[in-house]
Amino acid sequence: MIRYTLTRLALLVLGLVVASVIIFLTLRVLPGDVAQLIAGTNSTPEQVAGIRDQLGLDRPLPAQYAEWIGGVVRGDLGRSLLTGTPVSDELWQKAQVTVPLGVLALVIALLLSAPLGVYSALRRGRAGGTAVGVAAQAFAAVPVVWAGMMLVVVFAVWLAWLPAQGFPRAGWSDPVAAVRSLILPALTIGVVEGAMLLRFIRSATLQAIGQDYVRTAAATGLTRTQALLRHGLPNVGLSVVSVLGLQIAGIVVGAVVIEQLFSLPGIGRMLVADVSARDLPKVQGELLALTAFVLIIGFVVDLVHRAIDPRQREAT
Amino acid sequence: MLRRTSLAVTALVAAAALTLTACSPGSSPAPTATGAPDPDASISVRLVLEPGNLDIRQTSGAALDQILIDNVYQGLVARTADQEIVPSLASDWTVSEDGLTYTFTVQEGVTFHDGQELTPQDVVWSLTQHRDTAEWVDADTLANVSGVAADGQTVTVTLAAPDSQFLWNLSGRAGIVLKEGDAVDYKTAANGTGPFVLENWTQGDSITLARYDGYWGEPAAAAEVAFEYIPDNQAAMNAALAGELDVVTGFDPNLRSQIEANGDFVLVVGESTDKGTLAFNQTSGPLEDKRVRQAIRQAIDHDAIVEAIGGGQTQYGPIPSLDPGYEDLSALAPYDPEAAMALLEEAGAEDLELTLTIPSFYSTTIPQLLVSDLNKVGITLKVDSVDFPTWLQDVYTNKDYDLSFVLHTEARDFENWANPDYYFTYANPEVTELYAQSRAATSDEEADRLLAEAARIVSEDAGADWLYNGASVVAVSTLVQGMPSANVNERLNVSGLSKSDG
Repeated sequence: MIRYTLTRLALLVLGLVVASVIIFLTLRVLPGDVAQLIAGTNSTPEQVAGIRDQLGLDRPLPAQYAEWIGGVVRGDLGRSLLTGTPVSDELWQKAQVTVPLGVLALVIALLLSAPLGVYSALRRGRAGGTAVGVAAQAFAAVPVVWAGMMLVVVFAVWLAWLPAQGFPRAGWSDPVAAVRSLILPALTIGVVEGAMLLRFIRSATLQAIGQDYVRTAAATGLTRTQALLRHGLPNVGLSVVSVLGLQIAGIVVGAVVIEQLFSLPGIGRMLVADVSARDLPKVQGELLALTAFVLIIGFVVDLVHRAIDPRQREAT
Repeated sequence: MLRRTSLAVTALVAAAALTLTACSPGSSPAPTATGAPDPDASISVRLVLEPGNLDIRQTSGAALDQILIDNVYQGLVARTADQEIVPSLASDWTVSEDGLTYTFTVQEGVTFHDGQELTPQDVVWSLTQHRDTAEWVDADTLANVSGVAADGQTVTVTLAAPDSQFLWNLSGRAGIVLKEGDAVDYKTAANGTGPFVLENWTQGDSITLARYDGYWGEPAAAAEVAFEYIPDNQAAMNAALAGELDVVTGFDPNLRSQIEANGDFVLVVGESTDKGTLAFNQTSGPLEDKRVRQAIRQAIDHDAIVEAIGGGQTQYGPIPSLDPGYEDLSALAPYDPEAAMALLEEAGAEDLELTLTIPSFYSTTIPQLLVSDLNKVGITLKVDSVDFPTWLQDVYTNKDYDLSFVLHTEARDFENWANPDYYFTYANPEVTELYAQSRAATSDEEADRLLAEAARIVSEDAGADWLYNGASVVAVSTLVQGMPSANVNERLNVSGLSKSDG
């Protein structure tokens, strides 16, 4: 287990280094620069050159990369070219919106998908099971933007139960308002992600029903449902853990769209704004942090999976 | 005219309230919009475009002018929504006969938001510093200033040559008065003399201004104004309907019926200096031929464009009706596809293929109409939608385009037609000379006449096409009074904005 962990850790670090080079280089391919944006459309080339010089954009690429990565190793993600504020401060600020949003969305997705997924597997071929299956199919195909709009129209505009957009200026010092502003966006992601997860849980459960050990358990006098709940579901749980890693990555991507739609000041919205402002040091830091997050989730999922599944431990 | 519109709206609301009261005799009057303004009110205003940072000295773009000038920062003079120049930090001024010396009387008792006093020396320092720092926005507009001196409360500015735009420029970025030697981090903070203090900026979300209690003039009517940045029109309307916004600027007129059905909002439409400009790259290629450019102008149904975007008016020359030098030039490019085809044939430019480069944040309405209009006269238009930094590099800096569409919002920006290096690629020495003469004129009438003459030549040359002159469309809560209606995308003075408690 220790050797496995160390190997996995080395791969994680290698992955981050490769990602940092890719992030750095692909951003440099983008046309346009922040100096021109600051100077605007009534500027002279001299003004733009002056600003470029001030911001240090003229230095050679290897020097810029070395400076950036050197900072990252020391725990410094750099500063925004536009505002001069440290990227890590901004990330911390915006994470206070995006992380709770993601967690809430994940909880909603699990609460919807786990019971309904198992139910529809057990009721396969009957009306209830089919209805849930069809609904899941439909919800998984719904565009996130449309789902969000519908929820806003119903719960914010018609019923006026929840805010239509924005995050309280007081942030988490007003926890009730903060949670209220996250419910509709989290529901939007949660329903769509949950529908996808439901289909996965359903097929994993169906597979478990067909396994020998469930059949054996049923032969000892348990009903099929009892046998499945006692012996089959732990195995379904295991495969769900490995899919959850992917789901979390999906939620991060979903947050980019949802934060735009609900005007939430989170990481996704910040990223879009920074790319269109060509604030490259900031985008670099944000992308590297997000990549690290997703890679670390994958790492943890692998370790957890290995720790709780005895078969995998015996294999190596 | 514009004043009258908002007055009429208020009157209507009041009349409606009276009618309601009259209908229910015996009952006590219901609380209505006629309630007294609440001095503790916080008003939320939807804006579209967030600034990248708050450095008013160095960062260009209307997003900063819109919220910071008049509200947080001030100059010796200011401009009203109707584009008139009025006193601000200077209580009055005189101009010498030869147009070379401007003498301002600086207000007394003015303090910056951090409590420091404004001195005439600050004015001298600000103007000199602005002229001498090339990276500051509009530094070149002060190049003509040969001297600034203070004597008591009087500040004298001497020009090397007369400049009919000088006061106008002073009412913008170039004229902002800062504290000499101030240690503010201008990118994220502000220290001005205006009626509002910058209270909070949540990047990617909102900017909040709070009433400055030490303000030298009439204090702001509301305790707080929060600018919420919501790019999406439908999302902004939903937020308004859910009661989270009091004012929606940049309202999409096509959503009019939805917001009016609710009854809590009225639509206020004002003029603007937004010019939907279709630029022609005319240095080489088919568009070098004036007949081809003229054909494109005549192939476009401008009335249909105005109708499709749901507001504004047609514009057939470089100067919009709010700006000096405006005249109706519609006769120069009437909609006539037949004439357009004849011109193209004459120029030997049939089966033309052109590319329209357009920043991606504009809606697809305009490109669709252009593709269809030009197709009717035999021009195939390919639309290339790019993000703004790409547009800046390809079109603005490298002038690598055929046609380009951008909404130019700045007031009084005729100068770009006199500058052959601008991305419009329009070069006519006669226009450059007329503009120089207009700048040097010592009377407004003379300056305006010369501008109008130059504008007519630009339109006759088909230097570009102007698809429309945008309207400033704002949805205002019936509880809110004092919302300016004209040109709010460029300058939005919110000191008179108030909200009643119901």
